Amino acid sequence: MGGRPRETRIAYLLLAPSLFGVAVFLVLPILVVIGLGMQRWDLIGPRTFVGFDNVVAVAEDGRFARSLLVTAVFVAVVIPAQTVLGLGAALLLNRGLRGSTFFRVLYVLPWICAPLVIGVVWRWILAPTDGALNALLGRRVEWLADPALALPSVAAVSVWTQVGYVALFFVAGLRAIPPSVHEAAVLDGAGPWQTFRRITLPLLRPTLFFVLVTGVISAFQTFDSVYALTPKGGPQGVTDVVAGRIYFEAFESRAVGQAAVMAVVLFVLLVVVTVAQQRWFSRRTTYDLST
Amino acid sequence: MRLRTVAAAAIAALALAACSPAAPPSTPSDGSGTTTVSLRLWDKQVAAAYEKSFAEFSKQNPDIKVEMTVVPFADYFTGLRLDVASGTAADVYWINSSEFGALADGGKLIDVGKELAGDVGGWVPAAVEQYTRAGTLWGVPVLTDGRIAVYYNKAMVAAAGVDPTALTWNPTDPAADTFLPAAKKLTRDSTGRTADQPGFDPGSVTQYGFNAGRDLQAIFYNFVGSNGGRFQAPDDTFAFANPQSQQAFQYMVDLINTHHVAPSAADTNDNPDFSRDQFLQGKMALFQSGTYNLKNVADGATFEWGIAPMLAGPAGRVSVVNSVIAAGNADSPRRDAVLKVLRWLGSEQGASAVGAEGSALPAVTAAQKGYFDYWAGMGVDTRFFGADGGSASIPAPSGPKFGAGATAYEPIFKEMFAGRTPVAEALQKAQEAGNAALR
Repeated sequence: MGGRPRETRIAYLLLAPSLFGVAVFLVLPILVVIGLGMQRWDLIGPRTFVGFDNVVAVAEDGRFARSLLVTAVFVAVVIPAQTVLGLGAALLLNRGLRGSTFFRVLYVLPWICAPLVIGVVWRWILAPTDGALNALLGRRVEWLADPALALPSVAAVSVWTQVGYVALFFVAGLRAIPPSVHEAAVLDGAGPWQTFRRITLPLLRPTLFFVLVTGVISAFQTFDSVYALTPKGGPQGVTDVVAGRIYFEAFESRAVGQAAVMAVVLFVLLVVVTVAQQRWFSRRTTYDLST
Repeated sequence: MRLRTVAAAAIAALALAACSPAAPPSTPSDGSGTTTVSLRLWDKQVAAAYEKSFAEFSKQNPDIKVEMTVVPFADYFTGLRLDVASGTAADVYWINSSEFGALADGGKLIDVGKELAGDVGGWVPAAVEQYTRAGTLWGVPVLTDGRIAVYYNKAMVAAAGVDPTALTWNPTDPAADTFLPAAKKLTRDSTGRTADQPGFDPGSVTQYGFNAGRDLQAIFYNFVGSNGGRFQAPDDTFAFANPQSQQAFQYMVDLINTHHVAPSAADTNDNPDFSRDQFLQGKMALFQSGTYNLKNVADGATFEWGIAPMLAGPAGRVSVVNSVIAAGNADSPRRDAVLKVLRWLGSEQGASAVGAEGSALPAVTAAQKGYFDYWAGMGVDTRFFGADGGSASIPAPSGPKFGAGATAYEPIFKEMFAGRTPVAEALQKAQEAGNAALR
C-alpha cells in the first residue's frame, strides 16, 4: 500500500461514499453516546460535564445489574426456543408437502407485523379480565401481572414472533445442501436421525451462525413488544430488559447521561458476544461444499 | 495520511455538531403569507371543539393558521421532552402541573403573566396560582378539572339500597365507615352473591363496587387528602410516608386485595382506562373520576347514571383540583403569532367552544357557563364538580422534577396496590426513591 500512493488515494475515493455513511450513521452516534455518557442532562436544561460520575452511578444502581440479568435470562430462553422451533418448522416446510408455500407465508406474518402492534394484541389476549386466553381456559391467570409468569409470557410472545423469520433462513440453508449428499448418506446406511445429525446439521452451520448472531443481537435489543406487554419493567421489574431500562432512564427519569453509559455497556456486551460466537463458529463451519 | 486527518476532523466536527440541539424550524410562513402555528394537545374531544374555535380565529386573523396535533396522554410527555431537547417542539403545547416546572426553569416557556398581563384576571384564580412559579405565570389556563365526583349506575345502587350521595369511609373506626358495607353490597360474583355474603367468590367478580386503584387524580390524592394526609411537602419533596397517608393507602389496598370490591391491580396498574371501561360496560357501580370523563360517560354509558359527590373521609371531602395550561414555546420564531393564539385560547370567545359542547370545563371563567348550560340541557347535574361537592382541596402535583420522582416511586406503588409489598414498607421505600430522583 505504502508504495502505491495513487492507488491508495483512488481506493479511498471509491470508498468515500461508504465511509461517509459509516462515519455519520455508525461512528458518529457512538461518539455522541460516549460524549453524553460524561454529561448530566435532563433533556431540557443545560448539559454539565461530570466525567465518570454517570459510570459510578450506573455501577451503583442495582436496577441496571438486574436488567442485565433479566436480559440474559430472556436471551437464554428465547434463542434456543426460537432456533429449535424455527429449524423444526423449516424441516417440515422443506419436505415439499401440500400447502408449504401457504404455511411459509403464515409463519413469517408475525415477524412482518410491527412489534408494538404484536405487543398490544397479545396484551389483550393475555389480559386477566376479559382476555382471550383466560376465556379459553375458563380460569383467571394473571399472565403479565404475576412475577412468576410475566417473563415466560413475554418470552413466549417473542419466540412466536421470530420463529417464522428463523425458519425462512433454515429453509434457504436446507435448499443449499445438494440432495446427492443425503443420497450418499442413505446409501451408506445412515438412518434419518444420523443423517440429520451428521450431515444436515453440520452443513447448516453457516445458517445457524447467522441466525444465532442476528437473533442474539435482536434479543438483547428487544424493547417494543416487551414495553407494550409489560410497561415499565413489569411486576417487580421481572421484564425490565436492558433496552427498556435505557429508555426509562433517558426519557422518564430524564437521566440521559446514565442512559448513555448503559447503552455503551450494551454495545460492548454485544460486540463481545458476537466475537465469541464468530470465533466458535469459525472453527466448526464449512462454507464451501466443493472443498 | 492527509486524507485520514481530514476524515478524522470531519467526524469530530460532525460529532460536535450533533451535540448541539437543532435550531427550531425557522420558516415563519408557508410562502403564501400565512403563518402556521403548531399546537399540541392530548384530548381528542377538546381538539374537535378547537377546530371550530380556530376557524373563527382564522377569520379574525387571516394571516395565521393553527395546526393541531393530538398525542395520546400516555406518550405525550415523553415525546414533548424529546421535541424540546431537539428544538422541534410545537409553538404552543399543553402541559400539566407535574411537567411545567422543569420547562419553566429551563427557560423554554414564554412568560405569559408578562406578555398577556391584561388577560390574567379572566382566568380561574386556582389555575393561575397552580402555574405561577417564582412569581411568573407560565401559560394560559385552558382547562380545569373541577372537583372529583362519583359517577354511579342508578340501577345498581337502587338494587343494593345504597345512597351514593352519603358515603363516608373511615380507616380507623368501622362504625363510622358507611362506604365499605355499601361497596360490598354493590360487588357481585358470577353466582350473584355480594361481597358481604358467605360463599362470595372473589375470583369471579362480575360487578365491582368501586374503582380503587393506582390513579393519582381520581383516587389516591383524594383519599390521602380526605384523611388529613399529604403527598408533597411545601418544598415539593415527597412526604406521603406519614400516618394519615399510610392509613388512606392501606384502606385503598384493602378495598382491592382484602374486600375485593375494586378491580385487581393486575387489571388497573398498567391500564388506566380499565375501571372507566368496566363502568361503561355496566360492570361497576361507583366510578370516582372528574369532569375529564364526563363526556366519555355521557357518550358511552347505555344505562341510567348519575353524579354524586366524591367519597367523604375523616377530614371531609378533600379533592385534588387540577388545571391544564397552553404554554408558548419560548424558542418559537413565530412569537407574535404564538401570542395571538395564546390570547385567543384565554379569551371567552376562544374558549367557549370547549365548554359549549361539554368537552371539558374551560379555565376561562366567562366561558364556564356554556359548559354548565350544555350539561344542564342534557339533563346532567354537574353541581358536585363545583362548590356543592365540597370546598377543601389537596395541592396538585408540583415541582420541576415531579415526573422523574413519580417514575421512581411508581413501580413500588404498583407492588403495594398488588398487595405484594406491605403498605408502610412500600410508602417508605417509594418516598425515598422519589426524593432521590428529585436530587
